[in-house]
Amino acid sequence: MYSLLPLLSLVVPSFIGFLCLFTYPFRFLESFFRRIEKVALLFATCLTLLIVMTMVPYVLSGEALETPVFSLKVDLTNIAGAVGIVLIFLLVSIFNVEAEKGGRLKPSMYSFFVLLFLVCMLGLLFSYDIFGIFLFVEMTVGVSIVLVVHNPSKLSPEASFKYLIITAVSALFVLLGVLTIFILTKNSHISSIVDNSELFRENPRLVMLIVACFIVGLGADIGLVPFHGWVPDILPGSPPTINGFFTAEPIAFILTLHKLIYPFYVVYPSQTIILLLLGIGLICIVFGVLSAFPQKDFMRMFAYCTIEEFGHMILPFGLFTSFGFTAGQFYLVNSSLMKAGLVLCLGSVLITTETSDMNSLGGLIGKMKNTAWSYIVCAFSITGVPPLSGFYAKWILYTAIYNFLYPHVGIMLSLSILMLLICMSIVSLVILIRSFQQIFLGQPTEGLNNLKGIPWAMWLPTLILALITILLGIQPNILFSLIKQP
Amino acid sequence: MELIILASLIVSTFFTALGALSHTSKRAIVFLALQAASIGFVELVYCLLELITGLHMEALISFLAAFVEWFTSAAVSPLIIYWGVIKTEDVSEKPLIHNRKVVISIVVLPVLWLTLGYWFSNILPERLNVLPFVALMLLLSSIPIVYRKDPLKILVGLNMAENSLYPLIAESPISLVPFMLGLMVFVNLVGIFVVMEAYRDYGTTLVSKWRLNG
Repeated sequence: MYSLLPLLSLVVPSFIGFLCLFTYPFRFLESFFRRIEKVALLFATCLTLLIVMTMVPYVLSGEALETPVFSLKVDLTNIAGAVGIVLIFLLVSIFNVEAEKGGRLKPSMYSFFVLLFLVCMLGLLFSYDIFGIFLFVEMTVGVSIVLVVHNPSKLSPEASFKYLIITAVSALFVLLGVLTIFILTKNSHISSIVDNSELFRENPRLVMLIVACFIVGLGADIGLVPFHGWVPDILPGSPPTINGFFTAEPIAFILTLHKLIYPFYVVYPSQTIILLLLGIGLICIVFGVLSAFPQKDFMRMFAYCTIEEFGHMILPFGLFTSFGFTAGQFYLVNSSLMKAGLVLCLGSVLITTETSDMNSLGGLIGKMKNTAWSYIVCAFSITGVPPLSGFYAKWILYTAIYNFLYPHVGIMLSLSILMLLICMSIVSLVILIRSFQQIFLGQPTEGLNNLKGIPWAMWLPTLILALITILLGIQPNILFSLIKQP
Repeated sequence: MELIILASLIVSTFFTALGALSHTSKRAIVFLALQAASIGFVELVYCLLELITGLHMEALISFLAAFVEWFTSAAVSPLIIYWGVIKTEDVSEKPLIHNRKVVISIVVLPVLWLTLGYWFSNILPERLNVLPFVALMLLLSSIPIVYRKDPLKILVGLNMAENSLYPLIAESPISLVPFMLGLMVFVNLVGIFVVMEAYRDYGTTLVSKWRLNG
């Protein structure tokens, strides 16, 4: 169905972003904008959420909303991701009201880049044009680097430069894949891959080359092992608010990766593609958990836990089954929401105590009760403790993996892989509980006794995320109804 | 592949290798400009010839697009990095590994490329016959990215890598050219902004000293 709503969801934040930018050269507007910048960001994300929610009834009735001129499409394969992304942006914008204390960028520039980041995420999700996807990938690279370097700390330039190099090189791989497809098919719509299936079927090694380009290119942007080098530096180097916005990134990138690779799998259903994605997923999980365990800095610990989550997210999409896609989307959205909850809680701790060293923290539950409860609920959910939404997400994820593996590799290997995944989740739970104990329980260390409580804008989003996980745990169909196989 | 295209690719590969070996940032920028100028030159001449012989609107648009693309990679991007050098410092440094090893790499890479190229020639369609050259230039551009400590030289390597895709980018739709160039300039500006902020914080542009001074 022809609709301008997908385009509108990109235009609205862009327009408000440019309005914010408009104040940049005018000094007399700057002081005025300082007073309204946070409200402007909140308003823009609210409005975008409203537009995305307007699309939901149409999509639920089975319609696909398309803006063909810009190759934008919203249907049941991406609406859950879109809702997840905008919800994260809205909640982090609430957190931003008290958490953002200024940095290297002027407020107008900061708001502009945050809104541009939201546009990039939605653009990646909605675009079905391979060049459009590349442009959004490249724009995400530039915008996210600017947002990281906004942090006035000395860690941020080094972290952002590392991020720039890894992601800019990876964007070249995406471009190489995109150009190869375009030169061969003379068409930039994703459907051209299936339309020219004969061309690709004749060249299976070329198919593998393009798929490898996309996995390397988008894998580095997501932070998959072995392209994860920037992840442990970026989290401690970015402002806590920006870390919150970044939790929406995997939703867009992983769904885009699937969107780009799936047509090739349809054309040339190679086991190598499956093995590649499953292998990367398993390596991410094991590497992430083992690296997170010895960390003393909670941001670095969380960074490695994030890598572990990327592994879980990529696994079901690598199966290329309809149930795998459903399980993957559910897991992706739920895990991103929970990661947002955790990172905002940790951000609150960092802003309040000005340290991320877990050994020098303790007893914060008295001062930050809501944050502490939200943290433990989100930690339980992300590691799959019942009856939270994470349990349901892990359950369908394991079911999808077992259903796929059992006919191919037999019961022993399937069970072994499942046992490995369950063990890794248990270790992950131990890591997060230990961090909770070190940060929030015990006696407060010297200097933490005089801390004041945190403002409502910082604990409210985390509490909402904790409530969402409980709600989705009791009623997972709310999210399930928004998901369908491609 | 036409002889003139082959010649331009060989020349630009040569400049890529020289850029990878440069000691100073300024010299690396000069080689970046030369690489970009040589790689886009043939496409530009083709568009100019088409404009002269055809004299129609479409040819004019193609020529303008090719010119802007060529000018951005050969002049605007190098100037942005040069601006970064002026604002910080022109570091003269040897690569992280010994020069001899870099030279060996530069000899070994083309040999590997020839082997790969032979394999590629069997699988690549006619329309993608520049891909082995693109791969070789990408590999050569990765040398400064991997072995250099000066972020400005790393940025030069990144731009060289992006330029190496030019023979393929030239095939992309004209309507996308402004966006792609805009993003290329934007990423360069962001890179220079980060380097300048780092220089202000750490007092040096050398990446290896950032952590020590941090």
